[in-house]
Amino acid sequence: MGQRVHVFIAEPSPIIRNGVISVLKGISNIDIAEISDVTTLMAQISRYMPDILIVNPSYLGLFSLDMLRSKVGGAIKIIALQYTLLDEAITKQYDDVLSIYSSAEVVKEKLVGVISSSDKSIEKQGLSVREKEIVVCIVKGLTNKQIADQLCLSTHTVMTHRRNISNKLEIHSSSGLTIYAIVNKLVELDNIKSVISSDK
Amino acid sequence: MYKIVKYESQDRMGDLICDNYPMLLVLSRFGMSLGFGEQSIGEVCKSNNVDVKTFLAVVNLLIDDSEKIPKIIDAEISIPALIKYLCNSHKYFVEFRLPLIRQELVNALGDNKNDVNLVIIKYYDEYVYEVNRHITYEERKVFKYVESLIDTNVSNKYNIEIFSKRHDDVECKLSELKDIIIKYYPNSSSNELNSVLFDIFSCAKDLESHNRVENALFIPAIKELERLKKID
Repeated sequence: MGQRVHVFIAEPSPIIRNGVISVLKGISNIDIAEISDVTTLMAQISRYMPDILIVNPSYLGLFSLDMLRSKVGGAIKIIALQYTLLDEAITKQYDDVLSIYSSAEVVKEKLVGVISSSDKSIEKQGLSVREKEIVVCIVKGLTNKQIADQLCLSTHTVMTHRRNISNKLEIHSSSGLTIYAIVNKLVELDNIKSVISSDK
Repeated sequence: MYKIVKYESQDRMGDLICDNYPMLLVLSRFGMSLGFGEQSIGEVCKSNNVDVKTFLAVVNLLIDDSEKIPKIIDAEISIPALIKYLCNSHKYFVEFRLPLIRQELVNALGDNKNDVNLVIIKYYDEYVYEVNRHITYEERKVFKYVESLIDTNVSNKYNIEIFSKRHDDVECKLSELKDIIIKYYPNSSSNELNSVLFDIFSCAKDLESHNRVENALFIPAIKELERLKKID
């Protein structure tokens, strides 16, 4: 696992939130961020696109997991933070369940397990619809700012998407992406001719 | 795959080259030709007016593929000989190897002027342009600086640290092209395409070796020279 994994913890109780954070701190290669206010959850998720979200299921309220996943192109792993008995129908929608009574070792093991499975799934996955749109924009020669304006995203989100695209495809240059886009028929050469000939 | 031993000047040149065929390139970049019979490395270098210590430093660095960069640089390597080696190596890539791969690539992709083939060739041409820029910078700026450093004194305007920091891995983008073709090129594989892929693999490896010589021998040697000049 090369790059850092971004973990978000959405939990209203500061005692429990900080408890979880202190247990997670022992795991290398992760960045932890906390969300205490439920109303900002969706905005924060789509802005920072964490790899893993640990969330109190009762806190999630009206947001559906599918909605959360679709916001970040399906790559996010969502772990339920359980401190009361929960209906299995609820927990099985999550990628894993953490009980607040788990020992520190179990918590770490679970998280490492989820991280490594998310590594594999990223490699196997093709690009999401959003990522394909961004590839097309890059190939057309748009800047991050222009892409953000056109797709109504923040430039930060565009950069995160670009990083994910590079990781998935292992292509790091825009001319490499041009080949990818043409081969996969995301664009026609005629649409980008002006960009290609004006390069250099 | 190759024998990893340290070669010394009394070892036979034939053994070195036969056991490590990539050293053929080192031989020609130092301006030495084949047909050395049973002569030792020292003898072949001497008859070709090549500094044997520099030759051995390059050879032993490249044979030992391990990532580590040797800590102690032999102060006795000849910087002019190393610069000549690097210039010949540049010439090899720009005038011979990269144009040959382009030709092969064009042949392998066939006459079909479809979109994919056009963008692949464009990618390649951009790459060659970048390599040219990289090399021109080294020859016009860095080597000129080093030559003046040897003749005169330390310059305040430039030092090898600047080069060391901006020295990027020129082979990455070539490897990326190969990966893209392997993963995404739609046509069924052909002998021509395989052949050009093999060549790209080996050219990327050559470029990596070239960079290794610059990073592990050339830059430390110049740093040492700068240090000595400052003391003077």
